[in-house]
Parts: sequence; C-alpha cells; structure tokens
Amino acid sequence: MWISILGLLLGISLGLLTDIQIPAEYTSYLSIAVLASLDTLFGGIRAHLQQVYDDKVFVSGFFFNIALAAGLAFLGVHLGVDLYLAAIFAFGVRLFQNIAVIRRILLTKWSEKKKLGEAN
Amino acid sequence: MKKRIAGRFTVILFVIGFMSATQYNTVNTDDSRDYRDTWEIRQQLSREKQVHSELLSEIGLLDDTLAKYSDKATQDPQAVLKDTVEDLRRSAGLSQITGPGIELEVSPSLEAVALGSEITEIPPDLLIRLVNEINRFDGIELAIAGERVINTTAIRDINGYTTVNTDPISTPPLTIAITSKSMEEARKLYSYLSASTIHEDFYIDDLTIAISEPQEQLTLPAFDEKIQMGYLEAGEGE
Repeated sequence: MWISILGLLLGISLGLLTDIQIPAEYTSYLSIAVLASLDTLFGGIRAHLQQVYDDKVFVSGFFFNIALAAGLAFLGVHLGVDLYLAAIFAFGVRLFQNIAVIRRILLTKWSEKKKLGEAN
Repeated sequence: MKKRIAGRFTVILFVIGFMSATQYNTVNTDDSRDYRDTWEIRQQLSREKQVHSELLSEIGLLDDTLAKYSDKATQDPQAVLKDTVEDLRRSAGLSQITGPGIELEVSPSLEAVALGSEITEIPPDLLIRLVNEINRFDGIELAIAGERVINTTAIRDINGYTTVNTDPISTPPLTIAITSKSMEEARKLYSYLSASTIHEDFYIDDLTIAISEPQEQLTLPAFDEKIQMGYLEAGEGE
C-alpha cells in the first residue's frame, strides 16, 4: 500500500519538477484521462476487496477507458457536441459507486473485527 | 500475487500523479503577456543598468573602506575610523563643504521695483520648485540664504514667514549657493538653469534669478542644528 502512495508522490513530483505543459486545447483530454484512470483505480481497489481482482481486466481497463474517453472527447470536438460530458458523467457516477462499495466493505470489515475483539 | 497487485497499483498511481501534475502545470501557467515594445524594454534595461552601476560603485566604495581597515600597512584604524566618520558627516551635510559651484541671486524684478510694488517673501512652493529643479542633478549640495539643505530639510510657511530648517529666510534679495562634484558639472548646471523655465515661474511672483558664472571655490556652511532621528537607534556592536 505504501509503495503505491510512493508511486503517486513520485509521479506528482516528476510532473511538477519537469514542468511539462501541454497545449491548452488538450487540457480537457488530460482531465478526462485523469478521471478515467481514477475510475480504474477505484474499480481495482473494489475488485481487490471483493476478491475478484483480475490483472488483465485491471490493466486493460485502465488503457481502454482512457482511450475511450479521449476518443469520445475527440469525436465531440469534431461533431460540435460536448460528448466529453458523457464520459465525465459516466466516470463520475462509477467513481461514486465504487467508493461507496469500498466504504461499505471496509465498514463491514471494521465492525467484524470489533465484534471479534469483544468476543475475545 | 500481492506484490504484483501492489506493483500494478503503483504504476497506475504514478501515471495518475504525473497526469495530474501536468494538468496542474498547464492550468496554472501565468500567461500574462508582455505588451511592451522594444523601446520600452530598452528603457527598462537602461534603468536596470543604471541601478547596476550604482550598486557596483557603492560596492567598490565599501570594498575600499574594508581594504583600508584590513590593511596592515595602515596600522592606524583610528585614522580610518575618523575618515569614515568625516565621510558620513559630509554626506549628511554636517560639515562645511567647499567645491566648484554656482550662486543664484534671487531679487525683485525691475518692473516690481519701478512700479513700487511691495516686495514679499519668496513663497515656499516656488522655492521647493526651484530646489526640485536643481536636485535633478546628482551629487550637488545647496544652501539657501546660508541655510544648508539636507535630506530632512523642510521648506515651509510658518506664521507667514518662509522658513528653511525652521529658520525664516530674508526677503529677496537672497543668495542660493550650489556646489557640485566638478567644474564640468557646475557648468552643466549653469547652462541647464539658464535655459530652465523656472525663470518664468519666478517672474510671475515679481522675482528674478541671476545666475553667477561657475566658480572654482564656493563654500557652503554646515547644517548647524541637531538632526532629529526619532526612529533610528544605535545598533548593537559585535
């Protein structure tokens, strides 16, 4: 777990220190990509807690979601319809659902632990 | 297995962190544009250069003093200290100063004399204007009717009298003595003041200014009062 957070910190510091900038037109793609990856991440955590984690699903989901979201945004720009909103909506809803499930699982685990402690 | 999952999560989190940081960089760039043209930038550059050279000369001066202090050959730190004190007193206007300079004679205009109009005090505003005009030149010292003008000098009206350093100055004619760093500077000041529009300003108040030719030796009196330093305190020595 800690090594994952280390990875996050490493990514942030690398991004800030290298001072990489992308053209302003592409910021919506990047924000959608961030959202998609967050969705994948929380999906992965949920799957892990529910004991259904699959490596292939996780990795392919990460890249596929990002590609899909970026493709949708690209299509939206060319059609003149804000299609990236659809992606944001879908990912947002899923993000909330995943986090809710994670919360419930953790709560259940916690209360079970408590009960066990009381029984002993 | 667990290790592999942690590895995957680490990579994904790394990518997320990197993308977020990039997004942050992009969104938070200050893209205020520089609308100055070449000429304005050149002016800015010349201002900065001037500051640079002033700082350099100041550093040179301080280095000189430092070298004097540390010079074993001098063997007399007291003399150096005295020199420094004398320098400081001179720059504060506490000592008499002699140098090349010019004298301005402010007197009632011929018309005012001929028409018999009352000769009044020189108004403080006009005097301040003149002092500002003179102060355009660097490194000059001046005394108005025998009153040395220093950094804290106030030129103002007290109970109907125009005062310099709170001492009333005489009604015109009066003399304003100016010394500068070199004879050349004094000549420049002379031609500048001769062509200045300050004459017209004085003429409105029935006064004229006569500017003397630059002189090699002109003596200004010292500032003869105590300098009020309410907010300055002596520093703790090491």
